[in-house]
Amino acid sequence: MAVRIEKTFEVSEPIDQCWSLLSDPRKIVSCVPGAKLTETVDERTFKGAISVKVGPSLTDYKGEVRIVRLDEQAHVLELEGKGQDVRGKGGASMKMTGTLEALEGGGTRVAAVTEVTVVGILAQFGGRLLTDVSDVIFKQFTERFQQKLKNPDAEPQGASEPVKAVRVVGSALGHSIRRALGGSDES
Amino acid sequence: MAEKHHIRVRLNGVDKEADVEPRLLLVHFIRDVAGQTGTHLGCDTTNCGACTVLLDGRPIKSCTFFAVQADGREIMTVEGLIHDGKLHPIQEGFRQEHGLQCGFCTPGMMMSALALLEKNPEPTEEEIRWGISGNLCRCTGYQNIVKAVQYAAAKMHEGVLV
Amino acid sequence: MIQTTSPEIGGMGHAVKRKEDARFIQGKGNYVDDVHLPGMVFGHVVRSPYGHARLKSIHIDEAMKVPGALAVITGADLAAAGLAWMPTLFHDKQMVLATGKVLFQAQEVAFCVATEQYAAADMAELVEVEYDELPVLVDPHKALDPDAPILREDREEKSNHIFHWEVGDKQGTQQAIQGSPVTARVDAVFQRCHPAPLETCGCVADFNPVTSKLTIWLTSQAPHAHRTLFSIVGGIPEQNIRVISPDIGGGFGNKVPIYPGYVCAVVASLKLGRPVKWIETRSENLQSTGFARDYHMTAEIAADRDGTVKALRVKTLADHGAFNAAAQPSKFPAGLFSICTGSYDFPKAFCEVDGVYTNKAPGGIAYRCSFRVTEAAYLIERAMDVLAHQLKMDPAELRLKNFIPSDKFPYQCPLGWTYDSGNYAAAMNLALKMAGYQDLRKEQAEKRKKGELMGIGISSFTEIVGAGPGHTFDIAGIKMFDSCEIRIHPTGKAIARLGTKSQGQGHETTFPQIIAQELGIPQQDIVLEEGDTDTAPYGLGTYASRSTPVAGAATAMAARKIRDKARKIAAHLLEVSEEDLDWEPGKFFVKGAPSKAKTIQEIAFAAYTNLPEGMEAGLEAVHYYDPPNLTFPFGTYICVVDIDKGTGEVKVRRFIAVDDCGNIINPMIVEGQIHGGLTEGLAIAFMQLISYDESGNVQGGNFMDYLLPTAVETPHWETGKTCTPSPHHPIGAKGVGESPNVGSPAAFVNAVVDALSHLGVTHIDMPIAPWKVWQILREKGIT
Repeated sequence: MAVRIEKTFEVSEPIDQCWSLLSDPRKIVSCVPGAKLTETVDERTFKGAISVKVGPSLTDYKGEVRIVRLDEQAHVLELEGKGQDVRGKGGASMKMTGTLEALEGGGTRVAAVTEVTVVGILAQFGGRLLTDVSDVIFKQFTERFQQKLKNPDAEPQGASEPVKAVRVVGSALGHSIRRALGGSDES
Repeated sequence: MAEKHHIRVRLNGVDKEADVEPRLLLVHFIRDVAGQTGTHLGCDTTNCGACTVLLDGRPIKSCTFFAVQADGREIMTVEGLIHDGKLHPIQEGFRQEHGLQCGFCTPGMMMSALALLEKNPEPTEEEIRWGISGNLCRCTGYQNIVKAVQYAAAKMHEGVLV
Repeated sequence: MIQTTSPEIGGMGHAVKRKEDARFIQGKGNYVDDVHLPGMVFGHVVRSPYGHARLKSIHIDEAMKVPGALAVITGADLAAAGLAWMPTLFHDKQMVLATGKVLFQAQEVAFCVATEQYAAADMAELVEVEYDELPVLVDPHKALDPDAPILREDREEKSNHIFHWEVGDKQGTQQAIQGSPVTARVDAVFQRCHPAPLETCGCVADFNPVTSKLTIWLTSQAPHAHRTLFSIVGGIPEQNIRVISPDIGGGFGNKVPIYPGYVCAVVASLKLGRPVKWIETRSENLQSTGFARDYHMTAEIAADRDGTVKALRVKTLADHGAFNAAAQPSKFPAGLFSICTGSYDFPKAFCEVDGVYTNKAPGGIAYRCSFRVTEAAYLIERAMDVLAHQLKMDPAELRLKNFIPSDKFPYQCPLGWTYDSGNYAAAMNLALKMAGYQDLRKEQAEKRKKGELMGIGISSFTEIVGAGPGHTFDIAGIKMFDSCEIRIHPTGKAIARLGTKSQGQGHETTFPQIIAQELGIPQQDIVLEEGDTDTAPYGLGTYASRSTPVAGAATAMAARKIRDKARKIAAHLLEVSEEDLDWEPGKFFVKGAPSKAKTIQEIAFAAYTNLPEGMEAGLEAVHYYDPPNLTFPFGTYICVVDIDKGTGEVKVRRFIAVDDCGNIINPMIVEGQIHGGLTEGLAIAFMQLISYDESGNVQGGNFMDYLLPTAVETPHWETGKTCTPSPHHPIGAKGVGESPNVGSPAAFVNAVVDALSHLGVTHIDMPIAPWKVWQILREKGIT
């Protein structure tokens, strides 16, 4: 089950500051809800974990993230990650390309294209839940990214706690229902 | 393990008390704690309706309801249809019109039908089909179930059931 | 010639109300999940999330900490007892619990046992399993590619190819095709679907360590065969195993195989010395138990320009999933698929089937299919329609032209079967009449001018049931006879037991009607039991519409044995010789002096009180019937659809079903079977699909996605019948349970294609969901 997610958001901080945050896994990991780095294997390879709660089901993934491409000139970052549920309920792999673009007026546009493949019980619910859950996770990511840009040293709220159950499902379901009824895609 | 809650449920006119986990589903309370196995489980996504019971007179899927939510309330299951040893017109209808084959969907189907007829005593065929659309049957193709409900409607209309 | 009995006796032909209803309508059925035994504990299966992976490790410590946890059984535990693998019903083996690797998502990996049901599920959540993913194979067309991952490392031949099977005249068919001016071809996929009976599979395994007796309450359509297999596979002496199939909430073939959950429950019970209950959830049922179909078929019909068919060539790729667990007679890897010449008189035919493994749930035979007859009938009926449209010939006319004539029976078909009897034109003509066919065609022509989409689909199927004669048929070595044992009590009442097992077909009502017909004992005086292997005579069970053809015959034969003895007793009581007696249902009377008579009740009493010299007491008989041939029910179905141009939604306006199953025991029950089977056919044609994505994730694994029709989608069924008895069957009956599911999918699809044929559409694969039709309409510029 492969899902492709394209997201863009803008911040007022300059491109170099964004790049400095985005290109450092140790810094960016705190923006991903429920994630933590557990080991640095080498400059480009890291071991980590992420907890995702969908409804009452809490899944702990353990895996590896590799920086495939880090282009400081073009401000492009390519990551590949692969993880398995610690209890053997499934796995996921991800390919993400993040691009920064300097905006007139000093800000930065952050564009991320992510392909996620999920294997296991979650995948049986089909793309419908995956897309919506990813949307909610991404929304929280952008909030934390912006927080961290403003306060580089502070830990974003609820750093390595798993994305909260009810809120994810609630908003994801809300998403789905609004979409089904012809509502807008904006949350 | 979560603390148990003490509940009292009026099941087919008789009070049933027990200490239950908050997560115990009503269908399991009815089948395993109260021992009334007429209500069946056919799926795990609340789609099939085999577990349909009446909660304070309204049809609900007991697989999607916690036993603790039924505390202090009245539940009617298939076992409650028979009255003074006499079959309910709905039960008669299912037998007369061959509205069942394997019998697994039948209890839930009859409870939905009962709820329908109490709200709408003279339903059209289309209204009957919509009224039981929450109950799946694999055996009968529904045609004879519709006839069974029509039979029951006519019988109930006659005022046979006092 | 079947005599008519009075309604009081209620023999064949009477629409007797069902005896079994009494308990079901009061919620007093006894299904496996209703069984509660003292000390009973609960099992829950841990399942693989991966379609193909190496099993690296299993950790159970966390799971064993759950309050109430009793044990976790793994493949390694079973392997130590030689039970990690078990034979399937078809020359293969399957893992009970995974060792080494897993081969499909939802495969059984471990079995948790706890004192409470919820605790067992908690345990399953906490079992930690480590996997190494392997490349997944879900496309059967890729299974034989040189770079395809090899799934079955346990087999000697390292290939995903299971079998090649062919029958017929390959050369002759080839020549006929080359020599014919017209060839019609269709590539038709019969999609993977699942029978989904409303009650899922399960068991209560109760080993009594004091008596060493193992009792298994089991959702089984074939309790005796299961007992023998449990004995052989488990090494438990057969006299110490009792299988009880109590009330079964629908089978449809899903309850014929032996599933890992049953074996695990038995092992757990043996280990713990207490009853172990295992009932699967609906998701488990859809994702791991016997699926149906997944046949990828091509048919070519060669014909003359006037539509006379000359040859049929069929090639099929069969996707069996990870293990070949198809439940079918052992000499037939593609079941009875070679009935694919159908109702038509093909001079030449050739059929070949190749089976492959994929990373999907194992099986293949199920869902009211009569052993692949659904696939065969669908293919030939689709192909005939493709031919009809190609020749611009009316599909009814084309069929009537090519039907095996009614005087050509018994008919030897080019693929080996001898059809017992048939009158296809009669069924077709009745269906056409009931439908008002000519008016429908006129209506269609007028609607077409206005741009409205209306279609008429015909299916004139012949099917083959009642497996089967001992010289050709066996399942896992056991011959496919069936049995009936009848005992008459002194007061003239009776009890009968069969080797079959009803899952809703009404045997408790219908088989007594056969006895009532033969002996004149009122049907309500006869109790019928099935399903307890300690008391019922050995039989192969109920599936593939075999109960009436085989056990029904056994019942008639046993009753006739009783009548023979009754005649002797009557002669003794009336002090005449046997030749001086005549029989009418319920009594023997002296020829020419009808008042000198003895009723069957009087004779029964005498069997215990006043016997002829030297005669054994009692009035009973048992018969094991080896059918001389299969039976061939048939029919014509006509479906009328209207298609919404805006949404692609197909509405079934009318469905006419004319069935011929020979002599009918209980017309009310037959009609109910037809309604049910047509509804399943509707589901298959429009709604049902179990598919796998490229990672091996199953789609359609629960009732949110795997759709069953409700009363709203299901149309009104118009039924009719003709009666062409089976010449070789003792009561001329053929069986009918599966005919509606065999014949209807093609009728539905033919109707939809017919509605769109003027746009150039020749075939649409099932399920025909609205989006498929909508896409076609858009492509064709129709809005």
